[in-house]
Amino acid sequence: MNKYEAVIILNPNLSNKMESFMKDFDSLLSDNSFNILKKEDVGRRQLAYSINNHNKGHYLLFNLEGDPSKLIDIENKIKYNESIIRHLFIVVKEHNGEDSHLLVESKTKKKEADSDDNPVEDIQVKKDDEVKNIKEVDDTESDKASENAEDAPVSDEEVKDE
Amino acid sequence: MSKYELPKIFDYKDVNILKQFITETGKIIPARVTGVSASNQRKLTRNIKIARFLALIPYTDMHK
Repeated sequence: MNKYEAVIILNPNLSNKMESFMKDFDSLLSDNSFNILKKEDVGRRQLAYSINNHNKGHYLLFNLEGDPSKLIDIENKIKYNESIIRHLFIVVKEHNGEDSHLLVESKTKKKEADSDDNPVEDIQVKKDDEVKNIKEVDDTESDKASENAEDAPVSDEEVKDE
Repeated sequence: MSKYELPKIFDYKDVNILKQFITETGKIIPARVTGVSASNQRKLTRNIKIARFLALIPYTDMHK
């Protein structure tokens, strides 16, 4: 029995089919008597360079335990799976129980994005309201202006022309 | 007093630490410049190369 760390980069277009892929992958591992000790779904991430014309990849990290002779079978299966754009199995002496830096990074980014999103939406809503108010005010003012004094708009136009 | 931050255990997933030791063009900076010990430089190099393969850091700045 060896301990492995596996990184699998999935085709980002297949993120929706993650669950079915995970089922297949789990069964593939269990068929070859591999134990999944830990699974991390990092999610989509920008690739440093494009792989098969993909600029983003869906990263999955696994802590595995299994037999080296069976690993060849797994890798052969993975090779012909078109939804996997890159994979790597690394032998480790001991598994680090903590969350990987990639997962932590993606989580913090998500949090930042969430915290950023909410105020932005609020501001946008406020802005929309303000715009509406201003428009209404404008309408009423221009109406009043046209009704009360017809000279004022003309002078404005002159200024604009200059 | 080194300006480089070295972890206890090198990890190919810790991109921010590895990025200290590559140039803008993606080359690994030699140990004689950074002052990293020989054994740490070997571990570092190994992890940088793994991170490159996984597209976490670039091989070069000439990628399309």
